[in-house]
Amino acid sequence: MYSKLVRYLDGELTGEEKDALEQQLGIDPALQEEFANLRLAREAVRQYGLRKQVAAIHDSMIKELRPPVRRIGSVRRVIRYSVAVAAAIVLIVGSFLAYKFYTLSPNKVFASRYQSYELITTRGNDKSDKPIEKAYREKNYQEVKRIHKTGEDNSVKAEFLNGMASLETSDQSGAIRSFNEVLTLNKQSAKPVMDDEAEYYLALAYLKNRDYDLSLALLEKIRDEKDHLYHSKVTTKFIRQLKWLKSR
Amino acid sequence: MEVIKNFPDQELVANLRSGKRMDETIKTIYRDYFETLSWYVLNNSGSRQDAEDVFQEVVVNFIDLVQKDKFRGESTVKTFLYSLNRFTWLNELKRRGRSLAREARYEKAQDFAIADVSKEMTGRESTAQVIELVERLGENCKKILLMFYYEDFSIKEILDELHYENEQVVRNKKHKCMKQLEKMVNENPGLKETLKNILHG
Repeated sequence: MYSKLVRYLDGELTGEEKDALEQQLGIDPALQEEFANLRLAREAVRQYGLRKQVAAIHDSMIKELRPPVRRIGSVRRVIRYSVAVAAAIVLIVGSFLAYKFYTLSPNKVFASRYQSYELITTRGNDKSDKPIEKAYREKNYQEVKRIHKTGEDNSVKAEFLNGMASLETSDQSGAIRSFNEVLTLNKQSAKPVMDDEAEYYLALAYLKNRDYDLSLALLEKIRDEKDHLYHSKVTTKFIRQLKWLKSR
Repeated sequence: MEVIKNFPDQELVANLRSGKRMDETIKTIYRDYFETLSWYVLNNSGSRQDAEDVFQEVVVNFIDLVQKDKFRGESTVKTFLYSLNRFTWLNELKRRGRSLAREARYEKAQDFAIADVSKEMTGRESTAQVIELVERLGENCKKILLMFYYEDFSIKEILDELHYENEQVVRNKKHKCMKQLEKMVNENPGLKETLKNILHG
Protein backbone atom coordinates (compact mmCIF):
# COMPACT_ATOMS: atom_id res chain seq x y z
CA MET A 1 0.00 0.00 0.00
CA TYR A 2 2.84 2.32 0.83
CA SER A 3 4.50 2.08 -2.55
CA LYS A 4 1.10 2.68 -4.18
CA LEU A 5 0.78 5.84 -2.12
CA VAL A 6 4.21 7.03 -3.32
CA ARG A 7 3.31 6.25 -6.92
CA TYR A 8 0.08 8.23 -6.44
CA LEU A 9 2.16 11.11 -5.09
CA ASP A 10 4.41 10.88 -8.13
CA GLY A 11 1.40 10.91 -10.47
CA GLU A 12 2.09 7.40 -11.72
CA LEU A 13 -1.27 5.82 -10.87
CA THR A 14 -3.89 5.76 -13.53
CA GLY A 15 -7.32 4.37 -14.17
CA GLU A 16 -8.80 1.93 -11.71
CA GLU A 17 -5.79 1.87 -9.44
CA LYS A 18 -5.99 5.62 -9.03
CA ASP A 19 -9.73 5.65 -8.42
CA ALA A 20 -9.46 2.89 -5.84
CA LEU A 21 -6.76 4.67 -3.93
CA GLU A 22 -8.62 7.96 -3.97
CA GLN A 23 -11.66 6.20 -2.63
CA GLN A 24 -9.60 4.61 0.12
CA LEU A 25 -8.06 7.98 0.99
CA GLY A 26 -11.51 9.45 1.38
CA ILE A 27 -12.41 7.04 4.16
CA ASP A 28 -9.08 6.21 5.82
CA PRO A 29 -7.74 9.00 8.09
CA ALA A 30 -4.51 7.09 8.79
CA LEU A 31 -3.84 6.82 5.07
CA GLN A 32 -4.67 10.50 4.68
CA GLU A 33 -2.16 11.32 7.39
CA GLU A 34 0.51 9.24 5.73
CA PHE A 35 -0.12 10.82 2.37
CA ALA A 36 0.03 14.30 3.92
CA ASN A 37 3.39 13.39 5.46
CA LEU A 38 4.67 12.17 2.11
CA ARG A 39 3.75 15.46 0.53
CA LEU A 40 5.62 17.28 3.30
CA ALA A 41 8.66 15.07 2.76
CA ARG A 42 8.59 15.85 -0.96
CA GLU A 43 8.29 19.56 -0.13
CA ALA A 44 11.33 19.30 2.16
CA VAL A 45 13.37 17.85 -0.72
CA ARG A 46 12.19 20.56 -3.07
CA GLN A 47 13.01 23.31 -0.58
CA TYR A 48 16.42 21.78 0.07
CA GLY A 49 17.23 21.55 -3.63
CA LEU A 50 16.11 25.10 -4.35
CA ARG A 51 18.06 26.57 -1.44
CA LYS A 52 21.22 24.70 -2.35
CA GLN A 53 20.99 25.78 -5.97
CA VAL A 54 20.42 29.44 -5.12
CA ALA A 55 23.13 29.36 -2.45
CA ALA A 56 25.69 28.09 -4.98
CA ILE A 57 24.82 30.83 -7.48
CA HIS A 58 24.56 33.41 -4.69
CA ASP A 59 28.21 33.09 -3.73
CA SER A 60 29.53 33.50 -7.25
CA MET A 61 27.12 36.34 -8.06
CA ILE A 62 27.96 38.26 -4.89
CA LYS A 63 31.61 38.04 -5.87
CA GLU A 64 30.77 39.37 -9.30
CA LEU A 65 28.58 42.18 -8.02
CA ARG A 66 30.62 43.23 -4.98
CA PRO A 67 32.25 46.59 -5.57
CA PRO A 68 36.00 46.06 -5.94
CA VAL A 69 37.98 46.81 -2.80
CA ARG A 70 41.49 47.99 -3.42
CA ARG A 71 43.80 46.30 -0.98
CA ILE A 72 47.14 47.83 -0.36
CA GLY A 73 50.16 46.07 1.01
CA SER A 74 51.74 47.01 4.31
CA VAL A 75 54.74 48.66 2.64
CA ARG A 76 52.49 50.78 0.48
CA ARG A 77 50.39 51.58 3.53
CA VAL A 78 53.49 52.79 5.39
CA ILE A 79 54.48 54.86 2.36
CA ARG A 80 51.00 56.27 2.14
CA TYR A 81 50.98 57.30 5.82
CA SER A 82 54.50 58.72 5.54
CA VAL A 83 53.50 60.79 2.55
CA ALA A 84 50.43 61.98 4.44
CA VAL A 85 52.53 62.97 7.47
CA ALA A 86 55.11 64.66 5.25
CA ALA A 87 52.37 66.54 3.44
CA ALA A 88 50.94 67.66 6.77
CA ILE A 89 54.36 68.88 7.90
CA VAL A 90 54.91 70.71 4.61
CA LEU A 91 51.50 72.30 4.99
CA ILE A 92 52.14 73.39 8.58
CA VAL A 93 55.63 74.71 7.86
CA GLY A 94 54.36 76.32 4.66
CA SER A 95 51.50 78.00 6.50
CA PHE A 96 53.89 79.19 9.19
CA LEU A 97 56.30 80.62 6.62
CA ALA A 98 53.48 82.18 4.66
CA TYR A 99 52.21 83.77 7.85
CA LYS A 100 55.69 85.07 8.59
CA PHE A 101 56.04 86.29 5.02
CA TYR A 102 52.80 88.21 4.92
CA THR A 103 53.06 89.69 8.38
CA LEU A 104 56.66 90.80 7.86
CA SER A 105 57.05 94.58 7.85
CA PRO A 106 60.12 96.81 7.56
CA ASN A 107 59.36 98.29 10.98
CA LYS A 108 59.23 94.83 12.55
CA VAL A 109 62.56 93.84 11.05
CA PHE A 110 64.04 97.19 11.98
CA ALA A 111 62.85 96.89 15.59
CA SER A 112 64.30 93.42 15.91
CA ARG A 113 67.69 94.55 14.59
CA TYR A 114 68.03 98.03 15.94
CA GLN A 115 70.01 98.74 19.01
CA SER A 116 70.67 102.29 20.19
CA TYR A 117 74.24 103.25 19.65
CA GLU A 118 76.04 103.84 22.94
CA LEU A 119 78.94 106.20 23.08
CA ILE A 120 81.90 104.55 24.72
CA THR A 121 82.41 106.03 28.13
CA THR A 122 85.92 106.36 29.42
CA ARG A 123 86.60 107.22 33.00
CA GLY A 124 86.36 110.92 33.83
CA ASN A 125 85.76 111.95 30.29
CA ASP A 126 82.44 113.63 31.01
CA LYS A 127 84.11 117.00 31.12
CA SER A 128 85.97 116.41 27.92
CA ASP A 129 82.68 115.52 26.12
CA LYS A 130 81.81 117.81 23.32
CA PRO A 131 78.30 119.34 23.66
CA ILE A 132 76.96 117.12 20.88
CA GLU A 133 78.29 113.99 22.58
CA LYS A 134 76.84 115.15 25.92
CA ALA A 135 73.44 115.75 24.34
CA TYR A 136 73.57 112.31 22.69
CA ARG A 137 74.57 110.63 25.92
CA GLU A 138 71.56 112.30 27.58
CA LYS A 139 69.38 111.08 24.72
CA ASN A 140 68.53 114.66 23.87
CA TYR A 141 68.30 113.92 20.18
CA GLN A 142 66.66 117.23 19.25
CA GLU A 143 69.66 119.01 20.81
CA VAL A 144 72.03 116.76 18.83
CA LYS A 145 70.27 117.69 15.64
CA ARG A 146 70.22 121.38 16.59
CA ILE A 147 73.96 121.48 17.28
CA HIS A 148 74.61 119.63 13.99
CA LYS A 149 72.48 122.09 12.14
CA THR A 150 74.42 125.05 13.49
CA GLY A 151 77.61 123.57 12.07
CA GLU A 152 79.42 124.18 15.35
CA ASP A 153 80.86 120.67 15.28
CA ASN A 154 81.74 119.46 11.81
CA SER A 155 83.61 116.37 12.95
CA VAL A 156 82.84 112.99 11.42
CA LYS A 157 81.70 111.80 14.83
CA ALA A 158 79.21 114.69 15.08
CA GLU A 159 77.90 113.72 11.64
CA PHE A 160 77.47 110.15 12.82
CA LEU A 161 75.71 111.18 16.03
CA ASN A 162 73.33 113.32 13.98
CA GLY A 163 72.59 110.26 11.89
CA MET A 164 71.82 108.25 15.02
CA ALA A 165 69.69 111.06 16.50
CA SER A 166 67.75 111.23 13.23
CA LEU A 167 67.20 107.48 13.27
CA GLU A 168 66.03 107.67 16.90
CA THR A 169 63.50 110.34 15.95
CA SER A 170 62.30 108.45 12.86
CA ASP A 171 63.86 110.92 10.48
CA GLN A 172 65.13 108.36 8.00
CA SER A 173 66.17 110.76 5.26
CA GLY A 174 68.21 112.82 7.73
CA ALA A 175 69.88 109.66 8.97
CA ILE A 176 70.63 108.44 5.43
CA ARG A 177 72.14 111.77 4.53
CA SER A 178 74.40 111.87 7.62
CA PHE A 179 75.61 108.25 7.41
CA ASN A 180 76.41 108.66 3.72
CA GLU A 181 78.30 111.82 4.61
CA VAL A 182 80.31 109.88 7.21
CA LEU A 183 81.21 107.23 4.63
CA THR A 184 82.20 109.87 2.05
CA LEU A 185 84.36 111.73 4.53
CA ASN A 186 85.98 108.49 5.67
CA LYS A 187 86.90 107.60 2.10
CA GLN A 188 88.84 110.83 1.88
CA SER A 189 90.47 110.31 5.24
CA ALA A 190 93.48 108.27 6.18
CA LYS A 191 91.90 107.51 9.55
CA PRO A 192 88.27 106.49 9.03
CA VAL A 193 86.04 107.15 12.01
CA MET A 194 82.97 105.03 12.86
CA ASP A 195 82.99 103.59 9.35
CA ASP A 196 81.56 100.18 10.24
CA GLU A 197 78.94 101.73 12.50
CA ALA A 198 77.88 104.13 9.75
CA GLU A 199 77.51 101.28 7.27
CA TYR A 200 75.37 99.17 9.58
CA TYR A 201 73.10 101.97 10.72
CA LEU A 202 72.82 103.25 7.14
CA ALA A 203 71.57 99.79 6.14
CA LEU A 204 68.97 99.99 8.91
CA ALA A 205 67.97 103.50 7.85
CA TYR A 206 67.49 102.29 4.28
CA LEU A 207 65.43 99.39 5.60
CA LYS A 208 63.14 101.67 7.56
CA ASN A 209 62.86 103.91 4.50
CA ARG A 210 61.92 100.83 2.42
CA ASP A 211 65.00 101.19 0.20
CA TYR A 212 65.47 97.41 0.30
CA ASP A 213 67.98 97.21 -2.57
CA LEU A 214 70.35 99.67 -0.97
CA SER A 215 69.94 98.11 2.45
CA LEU A 216 70.54 94.62 1.08
CA ALA A 217 73.70 95.69 -0.79
CA LEU A 218 75.18 97.07 2.41
CA LEU A 219 74.16 94.08 4.54
CA GLU A 220 75.63 91.62 2.03
CA LYS A 221 78.87 93.61 2.08
CA ILE A 222 78.96 93.43 5.89
CA ARG A 223 78.18 89.73 5.81
CA ASP A 224 81.07 89.12 3.42
CA GLU A 225 83.57 91.04 5.55
CA LYS A 226 84.59 88.76 8.37
CA ASP A 227 86.30 91.50 10.38
CA HIS A 228 83.46 93.98 10.04
CA LEU A 229 82.33 95.12 13.49
CA TYR A 230 78.74 94.20 12.68
CA HIS A 231 79.51 91.01 10.77
CA SER A 232 77.87 88.80 13.40
CA LYS A 233 74.70 90.92 13.42
CA VAL A 234 74.02 90.22 9.76
CA THR A 235 72.57 86.74 9.91
CA THR A 236 71.19 84.63 7.07
CA LYS A 237 67.73 85.16 8.52
CA PHE A 238 68.20 88.93 8.39
CA ILE A 239 69.25 88.78 4.73
CA ARG A 240 66.29 86.49 3.96
CA GLN A 241 63.86 88.87 5.62
CA LEU A 242 65.22 91.70 3.50
CA LYS A 243 64.83 89.60 0.35
CA TRP A 244 61.24 88.76 1.31
CA LEU A 245 60.42 92.40 1.87
CA LYS A 246 62.03 93.24 -1.45
CA SER A 247 60.08 90.53 -3.31
CA ARG A 248 56.68 91.73 -2.11
CA MET B 1 32.69 35.16 -21.87
CA GLU B 2 29.24 34.53 -20.56
CA VAL B 3 26.49 36.28 -22.44
CA ILE B 4 24.42 38.39 -20.09
CA LYS B 5 20.79 38.29 -21.04
CA ASN B 6 17.94 40.42 -19.90
CA PHE B 7 14.80 38.37 -19.79
CA PRO B 8 11.46 40.04 -20.02
CA ASP B 9 9.28 39.24 -16.99
CA GLN B 10 7.25 36.61 -18.81
CA GLU B 11 10.25 34.64 -19.98
CA LEU B 12 11.88 34.86 -16.58
CA VAL B 13 8.78 33.53 -14.84
CA ALA B 14 8.29 30.79 -17.45
CA ASN B 15 11.88 29.62 -16.97
CA LEU B 16 11.52 29.46 -13.20
CA ARG B 17 8.18 27.67 -13.43
CA SER B 18 9.48 25.00 -15.78
CA GLY B 19 12.85 24.70 -14.04
CA LYS B 20 14.61 25.11 -17.38
CA ARG B 21 17.71 27.33 -17.66
CA MET B 22 17.46 27.89 -13.91
CA ASP B 23 21.08 28.89 -13.29
CA GLU B 24 21.05 31.45 -16.06
CA THR B 25 17.72 32.87 -14.91
CA ILE B 26 18.78 33.14 -11.26
CA LYS B 27 21.94 34.97 -12.32
CA THR B 28 19.82 37.42 -14.28
CA ILE B 29 17.74 38.12 -11.19
CA TYR B 30 20.93 38.91 -9.26
CA ARG B 31 22.31 41.16 -11.97
CA ASP B 32 19.07 43.02 -12.54
CA TYR B 33 17.82 43.47 -9.01
CA PHE B 34 20.50 42.96 -6.38
CA GLU B 35 21.90 46.50 -6.36
CA THR B 36 18.47 48.14 -6.32
CA LEU B 37 17.12 45.93 -3.56
CA SER B 38 20.21 45.99 -1.36
CA TRP B 39 19.86 49.77 -1.29
CA TYR B 40 16.72 49.39 0.82
CA VAL B 41 18.47 47.26 3.46
CA LEU B 42 21.58 49.45 3.50
CA ASN B 43 19.45 52.54 4.04
CA ASN B 44 17.47 50.96 6.84
CA SER B 45 20.21 50.13 9.31
CA GLY B 46 21.40 46.99 7.51
CA SER B 47 24.91 46.01 6.51
CA ARG B 48 26.13 44.80 3.12
CA GLN B 49 26.08 41.26 4.54
CA ASP B 50 22.46 41.72 5.65
CA ALA B 51 21.53 42.93 2.17
CA GLU B 52 23.16 39.86 0.61
CA ASP B 53 21.47 37.42 3.01
CA VAL B 54 18.08 39.05 2.58
CA PHE B 55 18.39 38.98 -1.20
CA GLN B 56 19.20 35.28 -1.15
CA GLU B 57 16.04 34.65 0.89
CA VAL B 58 14.06 36.78 -1.51
CA VAL B 59 15.26 34.86 -4.56
CA VAL B 60 14.47 31.49 -2.95
CA ASN B 61 11.01 32.61 -1.91
CA PHE B 62 10.30 34.20 -5.28
CA ILE B 63 11.19 31.03 -7.19
CA ASP B 64 9.21 28.95 -4.73
CA LEU B 65 6.13 31.13 -5.17
CA VAL B 66 6.44 31.12 -8.94
CA GLN B 67 6.71 27.34 -8.99
CA LYS B 68 3.60 27.07 -6.83
CA ASP B 69 1.86 29.39 -9.25
CA LYS B 70 1.42 32.04 -6.56
CA PHE B 71 2.94 34.76 -8.72
CA ARG B 72 0.54 35.48 -11.50
CA GLY B 73 2.05 38.62 -12.91
CA GLU B 74 -0.42 40.99 -11.24
CA SER B 75 2.54 43.19 -10.43
CA THR B 76 5.86 43.39 -12.21
CA VAL B 77 8.68 41.12 -11.09
CA LYS B 78 10.50 44.21 -9.86
CA THR B 79 7.65 45.39 -7.65
CA PHE B 80 7.09 41.91 -6.34
CA LEU B 81 10.77 41.40 -5.50
CA TYR B 82 10.91 44.82 -3.88
CA SER B 83 7.97 43.92 -1.63
CA LEU B 84 9.48 40.56 -0.73
CA ASN B 85 12.76 42.25 0.06
CA ARG B 86 11.16 44.82 2.33
CA PHE B 87 9.02 42.22 4.06
CA THR B 88 12.01 39.94 4.65
CA TRP B 89 14.20 42.72 6.04
CA LEU B 90 11.52 44.12 8.34
CA ASN B 91 10.91 40.62 9.68
CA GLU B 92 14.60 40.19 10.28
CA LEU B 93 14.76 43.50 12.15
CA LYS B 94 11.80 42.44 14.26
CA ARG B 95 13.53 39.16 15.01
CA ARG B 96 16.57 41.11 16.18
CA GLY B 97 14.37 43.18 18.46
CA ARG B 98 14.81 46.30 16.46
CA SER B 99 12.15 47.86 14.38
CA LEU B 100 11.89 50.82 12.12
CA ALA B 101 9.49 53.60 13.00
CA ARG B 102 7.66 53.10 9.76
CA GLU B 103 7.39 49.36 10.31
CA ALA B 104 4.24 49.82 12.38
CA ARG B 105 2.60 51.73 9.57
CA TYR B 106 3.81 49.14 7.09
CA GLU B 107 2.33 46.28 9.06
CA LYS B 108 -1.04 47.98 9.19
CA ALA B 109 -1.06 48.74 5.51
CA GLN B 110 0.37 45.36 4.43
CA ASP B 111 1.89 45.25 1.04
CA PHE B 112 -0.79 44.40 -1.48
CA ALA B 113 1.71 42.76 -3.83
CA ILE B 114 2.60 40.01 -1.37
CA ALA B 115 -0.39 40.12 0.97
CA ASP B 116 -1.56 36.65 -0.10
CA VAL B 117 1.77 34.93 0.05
CA SER B 118 3.57 36.36 3.08
CA LYS B 119 2.58 33.37 5.23
CA GLU B 120 4.29 30.96 2.90
CA MET B 121 7.62 32.65 3.05
CA THR B 122 10.17 30.87 5.09
CA GLY B 123 12.34 32.59 7.60
CA ARG B 124 15.97 31.81 8.17
CA GLU B 125 15.32 29.48 11.10
CA SER B 126 12.84 27.27 9.29
CA THR B 127 15.19 27.15 6.34
CA ALA B 128 17.95 25.87 8.55
CA GLN B 129 15.61 23.20 9.96
CA VAL B 130 14.69 21.94 6.49
CA ILE B 131 18.31 21.87 5.36
CA GLU B 132 19.34 19.99 8.46
CA LEU B 133 16.54 17.46 8.01
CA VAL B 134 17.51 16.54 4.46
CA GLU B 135 21.22 16.50 5.32
CA ARG B 136 20.44 13.77 7.85
CA LEU B 137 19.43 11.41 5.04
CA GLY B 138 22.22 9.25 3.70
CA GLU B 139 24.14 10.56 0.70
CA ASN B 140 22.50 8.13 -1.73
CA CYS B 141 18.98 8.87 -0.49
CA LYS B 142 19.63 12.57 -0.79
CA LYS B 143 20.87 12.16 -4.37
CA ILE B 144 17.96 10.03 -5.55
CA LEU B 145 15.28 12.17 -3.94
CA LEU B 146 16.84 15.42 -5.20
CA MET B 147 17.16 14.08 -8.71
CA PHE B 148 13.61 12.84 -8.76
CA TYR B 149 11.73 15.55 -6.87
CA TYR B 150 13.83 18.63 -7.53
CA GLU B 151 15.60 18.07 -10.83
CA ASP B 152 12.71 16.13 -12.38
CA PHE B 153 14.87 13.19 -13.51
CA SER B 154 13.01 10.05 -14.54
CA ILE B 155 13.77 6.71 -12.87
CA LYS B 156 15.60 5.71 -16.05
CA GLU B 157 17.77 8.82 -15.97
CA ILE B 158 18.63 8.20 -12.32
CA LEU B 159 19.59 4.63 -13.18
CA ASP B 160 21.95 5.90 -15.89
CA GLU B 161 23.43 8.46 -13.56
CA LEU B 162 23.86 6.43 -10.38
CA HIS B 163 24.49 2.96 -11.87
CA TYR B 164 22.00 0.82 -9.94
CA GLU B 165 21.18 -2.70 -11.20
CA ASN B 166 17.86 -1.82 -12.75
CA GLU B 167 14.93 0.60 -12.57
CA GLN B 168 13.13 -1.48 -9.95
CA VAL B 169 16.10 -1.22 -7.62
CA VAL B 170 16.06 2.56 -8.07
CA ARG B 171 12.32 2.66 -7.47
CA ASN B 172 12.60 0.54 -4.31
CA LYS B 173 15.49 2.61 -3.04
CA LYS B 174 13.52 5.80 -3.65
CA HIS B 175 10.48 4.44 -1.79
CA LYS B 176 12.64 3.46 1.12
CA CYS B 177 14.24 6.90 1.23
CA MET B 178 10.84 8.61 1.16
CA LYS B 179 9.64 6.43 4.00
CA GLN B 180 12.69 7.40 6.03
CA LEU B 181 12.22 11.09 5.33
CA GLU B 182 8.50 10.96 5.99
CA LYS B 183 9.21 9.34 9.34
CA MET B 184 11.71 12.04 10.23
CA VAL B 185 9.20 14.77 9.34
CA ASN B 186 6.49 13.09 11.36
CA GLU B 187 8.72 12.88 14.41
CA ASN B 188 9.34 16.62 14.38
CA PRO B 189 6.04 18.50 14.95
CA GLY B 190 7.67 21.94 14.71
CA LEU B 191 9.22 21.18 11.37
CA LYS B 192 6.01 19.55 10.19
CA GLU B 193 4.15 22.77 10.92
CA THR B 194 6.79 24.78 9.06
CA LEU B 195 6.53 22.55 6.01
CA LYS B 196 2.74 22.73 6.13
CA ASN B 197 2.97 26.52 6.06
CA ILE B 198 5.40 26.44 3.17
CA LEU B 199 3.20 24.06 1.27
CA HIS B 200 -0.23 25.48 1.97
CA GLY B 201 0.28 29.00 3.22
